[in-house]
Amino acid sequence: MTPLLQVENLSIVYEPKGDEPFRAVRNVTFSLEKGEFVGLVGESGSGKSTLGFALTRLLKHPARIEEGRILFRGQDISQIEGEELRRQRHGGFAQVLQSGMNALNPVRKIGNHFYDIFAAHGHIPPDQREARAKELVGKVRLPESVLNRFPSELSGGMRQRVSIALALSLEPELMVFDEPTTALDVLVQHAVMETIKALQESEGFTAILVSHDLGIVLESTQRVMVMHEGEIVEDGTSSQILGKPKDPYTQMLLSHYADPRAEVVELPGLTVRGGSKTVAHAPAAEVAGRIPAALDGVLEGAHDSFVVQGISKVYPPPRRGEKPVTAVDDVSFRIDPGESVALVGQSGSGKSTIAKLITGVEKPTSGTIMFGDVDVAKLGRRGLKDLRRQVQMVFQDPYSALNPLHTIEYILSRPIVNFTGAKGDDVRKRVHELLELVELTPADDYAGRMAHQVSGGQRQRVVIARALACNPQVLIADEPVSMLDVSLRAGVLALLEDLRVRLGVSLLYITHDLLSARLVTDRIMVLHDGKVVEAGDTVQVLRFPEDPYTIKLLDSIPQPAKAHARSAAAAAGAAARA
Amino acid sequence: MRYFLRKILLLLLTAWAAITLNFLLPRLMPGSPADAAIAKLSQNGPVTEATRAAIEAQLGVPTGNILAQYGDYLGRIIRLDFGVSYTFFPQSVAELVMTALPWTIVMVGTVTILAFIIGTLLGTLAAWRRGSWADTLPTVVGSFTSAFPYFWTGLLLLYFLGYVLRWFPTSGAYDAASVPNLSLGFMADAAYHSILPGLTILITALGGWILGMRNSMINVLGEDYITFAEANGLKGRTVALRYAARNAILPNLTSFGMALGTVVGGSLLVETVFNYPGVGYLLYNAVTNQDYPLMQALFLIITVSVLIANFTVDIAYGFLDPRTRK
Amino acid sequence: MSAQTALESTIVPTPPEETLRRRRSGFVTSFLTVWSSPKARVGIVLLGFFILVAILAPLIAPYGPTQNDFARNESGGAEHWFGTTAAGEDVFSQVVFGTRVSLTVALIAGALSTLIAVVVGLSWGYSKGILSEIINFIVNLFLVIPGLPLMIVIAAYIQNGGLAMIIGVVVITGWAWGARVLHSQSKSLRARDFVTAAQFSGDSAPRIIFREILPNMTSIVVGSFVGAATAAIIAEASLSFLGIGDTTRVSWGSMLFWAQNSSALLTGQWLLLLMPGLSIALLALAFTLVNFGIDGLSNPRLREGTGR
Repeated sequence: MTPLLQVENLSIVYEPKGDEPFRAVRNVTFSLEKGEFVGLVGESGSGKSTLGFALTRLLKHPARIEEGRILFRGQDISQIEGEELRRQRHGGFAQVLQSGMNALNPVRKIGNHFYDIFAAHGHIPPDQREARAKELVGKVRLPESVLNRFPSELSGGMRQRVSIALALSLEPELMVFDEPTTALDVLVQHAVMETIKALQESEGFTAILVSHDLGIVLESTQRVMVMHEGEIVEDGTSSQILGKPKDPYTQMLLSHYADPRAEVVELPGLTVRGGSKTVAHAPAAEVAGRIPAALDGVLEGAHDSFVVQGISKVYPPPRRGEKPVTAVDDVSFRIDPGESVALVGQSGSGKSTIAKLITGVEKPTSGTIMFGDVDVAKLGRRGLKDLRRQVQMVFQDPYSALNPLHTIEYILSRPIVNFTGAKGDDVRKRVHELLELVELTPADDYAGRMAHQVSGGQRQRVVIARALACNPQVLIADEPVSMLDVSLRAGVLALLEDLRVRLGVSLLYITHDLLSARLVTDRIMVLHDGKVVEAGDTVQVLRFPEDPYTIKLLDSIPQPAKAHARSAAAAAGAAARA
Repeated sequence: MRYFLRKILLLLLTAWAAITLNFLLPRLMPGSPADAAIAKLSQNGPVTEATRAAIEAQLGVPTGNILAQYGDYLGRIIRLDFGVSYTFFPQSVAELVMTALPWTIVMVGTVTILAFIIGTLLGTLAAWRRGSWADTLPTVVGSFTSAFPYFWTGLLLLYFLGYVLRWFPTSGAYDAASVPNLSLGFMADAAYHSILPGLTILITALGGWILGMRNSMINVLGEDYITFAEANGLKGRTVALRYAARNAILPNLTSFGMALGTVVGGSLLVETVFNYPGVGYLLYNAVTNQDYPLMQALFLIITVSVLIANFTVDIAYGFLDPRTRK
Repeated sequence: MSAQTALESTIVPTPPEETLRRRRSGFVTSFLTVWSSPKARVGIVLLGFFILVAILAPLIAPYGPTQNDFARNESGGAEHWFGTTAAGEDVFSQVVFGTRVSLTVALIAGALSTLIAVVVGLSWGYSKGILSEIINFIVNLFLVIPGLPLMIVIAAYIQNGGLAMIIGVVVITGWAWGARVLHSQSKSLRARDFVTAAQFSGDSAPRIIFREILPNMTSIVVGSFVGAATAAIIAEASLSFLGIGDTTRVSWGSMLFWAQNSSALLTGQWLLLLMPGLSIALLALAFTLVNFGIDGLSNPRLREGTGR
């Protein structure tokens, strides 16, 4: 039987004006049978999205197919254009874009989105269109009333489901899902993935799931292709890849993937056992000897505690007539000197607001925040500047945390000049020390660079260095690694943990990612709708959660091993019965 | 609903601000406009007490309670009492303005809407067929013509089409011999006279709309929902109109208000070139003759008209963009 | 949405991080980007031409602009390329010297408008609550009030103002547009983490404004200046055409004022009608074209050569 899709020696080149041409996809060959559910996994820059777009002929200038063929149902679709291409989209191939937010026309009702597609292909007679639209939204588990709404009235998850339903209306044989759940909350993510899996089974289309999230791909698909720098480095069944990966890159990827609920969690450079946490960081021994003498005397570590009592933050209603927004609701906790505490929650849970409150960026509506004997809520401008010397932040987005026009040296010098009063050469020396501390060596070279001349992981190291420049007592890290590739996270986390232990700094680690919380914190607080629903020892809470919300969160983490055990058992059962 | 209420409130507040600005301006200027006005008026004969009081209420006296003057001024505005014109003494300002207003509104209004429609269509086409002749030609020509000063376009058209070729009349809104009435013949004559001034405004204003819509479309065409529409196999025309243009027109509408101010200014110049008896020409006369009462009233009516037009566009926008009703 | 997926999510995928050149700094690279746009290139050349003419006016013009001992109302010819005015002045010389007036007004009024726009735009962004609403209202007020009528009214009250008055009224009606644009740009910049980080680094508010925010706004500020200059050219010409300001000063607008007053239309001196106006149009066009290139600096989608 002819495979549904045969890709032969496909190469895609990207030729931006005034820049070097760049080959995003190199000589890729594979084939898909009807009904397969395949994952295409890779990090940023691997070419996976480019490949996905090429398969559905959505590539845009300046990208183009340089070589190779794409045989869909035996016909080479890489060269067809215009009306012929448009017609192929019905009953042929379809794509679901990543950002459900922007994939829908803001000025058209959802129902009309469907009717536009029906009219464009004419496969549903006018009198049946409404019924068919209702049927389709039902398949993605949305109520019929959604047809009468505008996209702006729907949540992100709902919009993504609408996108899936719209693609489904084409009755395609091949569907490409490009990072369909990345912008969504983890609970919503789980629900949408379940829907996609169910649909693939019931409708029987061939599906390609493009994602950077190894867990989701391994759990949902039966076959996985791993992409690295434009090439497919491994192609096998999910259980095979999970158990016995052949390619070193795949092995590397897998080594960075772990289940936070396991008894032992191991990532390169970090090991967390069931009861206690030990950090085995190979370079530490070398770096330890390198801590400059100048820092020794100053390294006193943290000595003040953060004591937060019953804080709430209520924002006025965004529009008149609506209710005020309670971002934080009666939260209390403490961070003792040298402790590492995780604040975990989904977007909208209030965790970033708490960060703003305890750093004095915003004032709480009620409650007290004491740092040592200072009441943070009552600080004026001068007081806040003093507080900053003690409480620093590590930001989330490496692309927006560094001013694109400044050199790294300038960026690092600011806190040194402002807080320690050092001048001239002393400042330069300290900048170099900081760079060495975060392992950006040779320091001379990095000091002169600008933000766009270093990678994302390196930028985060600069952000950490800046936070440590004035020897603070407390670090507030707000999602410090969530914007980095998974393989880079371990390195940055290990650095953070290592520095924290050696410099004696307290850490408040804010994240939605339970794995990293497990790796670097001793205690954890789970936040939901502004309230703390569960708190305790990190390993204890993650392995044996008590609160229903925490349990729900943990359940939505992909469990590839279990999924495959289940399907293996089902297959064995089926075989036994046959 | 909230959106519409907000817009009404804004309209009232801005109108009040414009009225107050009108009040403050002569009082902020060096010298005393009131004295100058009274001196000028006395050339026509002795100035009565009532007239003097009226002028001082409008233009201000250095001494005296400014709040009381303000109250007096507002009172007169509400009664639509703008006083008497110096240039066209003893005609009342209100009378003069009411005669001139229809000419401007009809000609300028029609041409502006026409320019908006044509400009939007051409801009949409230019962006959709980016890089082709349908793009380069309107963009380059549009950029060029939008740089023309209104009065220059007017003078050129007047000279070549009016004086040299004698295809169109060279001044006025209607034949000097006839009297305004509602007969078909008069209407035709009026239309004929409005062609050159109208064409001037059209040519100069068109470029801005073309470029604005083109830019807006280019931005919209980069959005994900356009790609998704294409991925779903929608026909080119559907995507261009219902998905792209329909969204691109929104920012264009919001800029309509500001552009209108420019067009109104331009129409002032055009009326001057063609001696077209609208409010622009009247304002020019008022300024040249330092006819302050007339000038103030005209400034106010022009500003309020623009505000009302803006408001209308805002209301239309509220219907076109579902996100305002969120 | 994480950065890695942000990288992948654009329809045109971006190259891996190492070769990413997200931000080019430096005046030279910016100039080259602007120069690479064909429209902007034409604009720069045209603008350069006018600047040269203005500077070298005494060398280029055969006579002084107010020298009026020539025959009147002559059409273009060998002695007077563009003819003479009704007062016996050489039109060509007047056009050449008129360049100075237009450029002076354009640059000074443009700079002043932009300065006010920067101050208002930035402080607006920093103010909260009711103050922010008030500034919003004032900016909108000046945007909506028709410019030319306001300018004329102010000029009428002042009576007999000179070039300074013209520059003044142009600035009063011209600052609001830039203020609006700069405000929204500064607002989006302030939301970026590096501004918060500068606060945490202990930098004072003025330092943050001048070293963190403003430098990232240069292309917008320049674009705003060019736009203001364009508007100033047209505004000055319009006012002079209406006979406002000093009518004895020779500018392109006042040339047309005298032309219309002395019935150049009847004497058939179409060159007198054409040349001053064409100069106004070309100078305004030059600025507009340059702005095309500057637009491309801040919004890569608008850069030429990127087709659909």
